[in-house]
Amino acid sequence: MTTRALEAARNGAAAAPATGHARMKRRAGRWALRGLAGLVFFFIFIPVIFVLWISLFQQQIVSFPPEGYTLRWYENAFARSEFRHGFGLSLQVAFIAMVIGVTSGAAGAYAIVRFRFPGREAFNTLLLGPLVVPGIVAGTSLYVYYIMVENLLDVDFRGTLHGLVLGHILLTIPWTVRLVSASLVGLDRAVEEAAMNLGAGPWTTFRRITLPMMRPGLVAASLFSFIQSFENLELTLLLVGPGRTTLPVAMLNYLEFRIDPTIAAVASVQIVLIGALMLITDRFVKLSRIV
Amino acid sequence: MATAATTAARPAGRRAEAFSLGPFLLVPASLLVVAFLAAPLVVLFRYSFNRYSPREFMIDAFTLENYARFFTDAYFIGVLATTVQVAAVCTLVSLLFAYPLAYLMARTESRWKSALVIAVVFPLMVGNVVRAAGWMAVLGNEGIVNHLMLSLGIVSQPVRLMYTPFAVYVGIIAVVLPYMILTLQSVIEGIGRDVEEAAANLGAGPMTTFRRVLLPLSLPGVIAGGTLVFILCMNAYATPVLLGGPQFKMMAPALYDQFTRTTNWPFGAALAFILMTSTLVLTIVGTTVLSRRMHHRKLEAAPR
Repeated sequence: MTTRALEAARNGAAAAPATGHARMKRRAGRWALRGLAGLVFFFIFIPVIFVLWISLFQQQIVSFPPEGYTLRWYENAFARSEFRHGFGLSLQVAFIAMVIGVTSGAAGAYAIVRFRFPGREAFNTLLLGPLVVPGIVAGTSLYVYYIMVENLLDVDFRGTLHGLVLGHILLTIPWTVRLVSASLVGLDRAVEEAAMNLGAGPWTTFRRITLPMMRPGLVAASLFSFIQSFENLELTLLLVGPGRTTLPVAMLNYLEFRIDPTIAAVASVQIVLIGALMLITDRFVKLSRIV
Repeated sequence: MATAATTAARPAGRRAEAFSLGPFLLVPASLLVVAFLAAPLVVLFRYSFNRYSPREFMIDAFTLENYARFFTDAYFIGVLATTVQVAAVCTLVSLLFAYPLAYLMARTESRWKSALVIAVVFPLMVGNVVRAAGWMAVLGNEGIVNHLMLSLGIVSQPVRLMYTPFAVYVGIIAVVLPYMILTLQSVIEGIGRDVEEAAANLGAGPMTTFRRVLLPLSLPGVIAGGTLVFILCMNAYATPVLLGGPQFKMMAPALYDQFTRTTNWPFGAALAFILMTSTLVLTIVGTTVLSRRMHHRKLEAAPR
């Protein structure tokens, strides 16, 4: 409240020497700035809005204006096995990759932030490495690597659940290390010291003090890991197999031929799922403070 | 420093135990990254020196002919040139578009601020394929843009917007804008409001304040955002494939084709490393030029 009043006073003071003409010009400039910002905001939302809108169109061939509205394309999308199975597989892969990636990544972040040992920086770089390698390069290298390992060991990797999960863990580790490290760095150690002084052992201190304080970082890491895996296309493209396709790959294959309300319905399901996850997470952890 | 002090204050026994066990927490994550990122990259790099034979597929060799082929083949040079051009243009345009919104988001005291941040993050999270689908509905012959232009009488025939470079530019800019906005916003937030007010009180107009104060101070954000966005553009896959059509080739789709259509692994592997190296070199060059300019300006300003 006071800051805002102060702000207004300051702005007033700054604007006071300006003549009426200059003030008008400044005000016009401010509105132009706002208008431009609004347009940019609208621009990044256009694709999302249109996907949601055309998924409800009556007619099968997308044209404007709509002839009416219906929900039958959602039924149609669900009836297509590639989308139903793709959705299921994507959920499965994203969940398992999230659990493994967040657990191992959080442990790594804990070691990097809390301990001093030679090569600490190198380990940090290594764990953030998957962010630097382009998805398509990581995907093709995993593809040739899986074929090599398959020939050596006689175990299938391409087109299997474990093959996909092992690849997708790469997407989750760097996000986890970044978000959990950030939350650990800002953590007040005095609280842990206090617990120890009050007689808590290292394990109790970790479980009752450190872990709850790491919670925001862990929740955010889980959310971003899950989404990164769920929506991934590039890394996944070559690792899927016949009958085992993730949702984004199934959508890409369909979109290479046509855009219609059915695929828009599939995309809308993804939009709603991710939006819901973000909103639910935001209830527990303020996302705007993390990203 | 504070950490060192607190560690030293701890009982010796516990400290020794923590030191011996702590770093081992890194083992699972590191093993995963080494086994499923580093090792595959090493294998791919080795393959890039192999020889391709249509009959025998891949022959173990140690040759540079795949790299040589790239730099002597006009088609692939063209693909790299297109990629760099798209990346450069999209980086610049997104910088121009992102700045006003980032500035307002950094300066606003509205209670909707966190909602705004989440709203910018959201399109980024729904995935490139979904957004490409949206642009297909907007830009197609029957899309909303053509519908509006036809009904307003601006054109009499639908204009071809899909499967053109224009569609790719639009799609990629929309994909990378949120990254640019968030990076710039966090840097502008760190610049005190008082600096701008001081400039205004000393008689600088908004444009002068922007050019002489805000822009130089936010240059680190411009560099960070520009680097991130440039890398993302160089590696774009879904957007050029879906919005550019088969005629429009960028590096990532071309590389993918080598593994699926022509199954020329050695050449595809070489493409992967050419893509990564050119991205790295261009990013370093761009960053150096910009930060030197920043440094130069500081020196220029100092004696006054």
